[in-house]
Amino acid sequence: MARDKQRDRFLDLLRPIERDLENYSRRMVFDRRDCEDALQNAVLRAFRAFDRYHDDTSFRAWMFKILTNEIFTINRKRGRVAQFEIAVEPEEMEEFAGLDFATEAPISWETLADALDEELLAALQSLNDSERAVLLKRAIGDLRYREISECLGIPLGSVMGNLSRARQKMRNAILRARRKASL
Amino acid sequence: MKCAEARKFVWLYLDSELDSKDSFEVEQHLESCAECAGLFEAEKKFDQRLGRFLRGSQPTRRLWDSIEAQIAPSRGHRLKALWPLALAASLVIAASVTFLTRSRTLDLANAVEECHSAYVHQITAPEFSGAVPEKIAQQFGGRLDAGAFAYRPSEPAFTSSGARLCHVEGVPVALILGRCAETPVSMIVFRKSELDHFPQTKRKLESGDPIACSRSGRYQFAARFIDDHVVCVVGDEPRPVLEDLLRAMRRADG
Repeated sequence: MARDKQRDRFLDLLRPIERDLENYSRRMVFDRRDCEDALQNAVLRAFRAFDRYHDDTSFRAWMFKILTNEIFTINRKRGRVAQFEIAVEPEEMEEFAGLDFATEAPISWETLADALDEELLAALQSLNDSERAVLLKRAIGDLRYREISECLGIPLGSVMGNLSRARQKMRNAILRARRKASL
Repeated sequence: MKCAEARKFVWLYLDSELDSKDSFEVEQHLESCAECAGLFEAEKKFDQRLGRFLRGSQPTRRLWDSIEAQIAPSRGHRLKALWPLALAASLVIAASVTFLTRSRTLDLANAVEECHSAYVHQITAPEFSGAVPEKIAQQFGGRLDAGAFAYRPSEPAFTSSGARLCHVEGVPVALILGRCAETPVSMIVFRKSELDHFPQTKRKLESGDPIACSRSGRYQFAARFIDDHVVCVVGDEPRPVLEDLLRAMRRADG
């Protein structure tokens, strides 16, 4: 009976974030079978550990952490090892802050908001694993920087550095595609 | 704050990671600098576009039904031989659980989630603080009253940043935006007579429960009757915190 209640409560928390978990997994793995395996393993693992989950923490952040570990395990098996930059140099923090708007003047920044899905997908694939993980955790997981840092086990500065580079690369890839198309 | 400094903060600001002092200074700068305001707006639009792309796909129901069916009470390995029966049974149980748990998510909790999410993501902002401006009161259409905007928790941890008129499923509501410590919390207040629009919540509140709780998305939700109003609180806070806020709710004009 207690187990039934626990399962109900687990499903209550899980269902609203199923879509985000699946989208995150798809964008991280890019292989349907691996993506589904990662989701299934993560959910079952989370349910088995659910009695250690506390209500005062974010279930979403907790689930994303477990799913990320499953994805990394699968990626390791496939020989795709994520390289996480741990140290962030002071100039990288400046880079995070120093978006050079002026260099992109020939194309309006507004055009970025009209980016096509295929341009976005190509840009996403141009990111390395760490940049993609941080960007997806922010954009899909809606996690705070501190939650991402705890989830990936990397310093807060690395989260900011990776996020900055990811957004810059996404932006540049789209602008390049736009320029090429206009030639 | 100068342009270069404001632009350093663009993503911290859009990701709501700035502290309130820096955030306020950025906002002040944006009000006086059209060029920076345009750049911030463009970045925000790009981020929204990216978010729509990344979160666009609907969940694969077949996959999730299969995963959920595996979350069944374990009776040990001795039942392994009966796995086809167990699988069928767990599918039936999962379907029942789906029905029961979904029906337990209150309709009002689902309806107000979007309001709160818009506040958290800075899409919605307060329109006024203090007395309800005349031009807003004119939009009540006889279905809301200024008293709905007067509720505040006497809990010192809650600070209000203002209010706005909003519509939830066509029902005019007072949306009071604030924070509990650092966490955004929305209060939604409307007339009891409008509760027919939310039959599940109506049943729950009229069944004698002083406070109806639920969860929708990543937020907790709690609601109660106070005089002729339904007062709800929504936020990413543990349920007891929201219940305490509701218990401490007072009308400033009463």
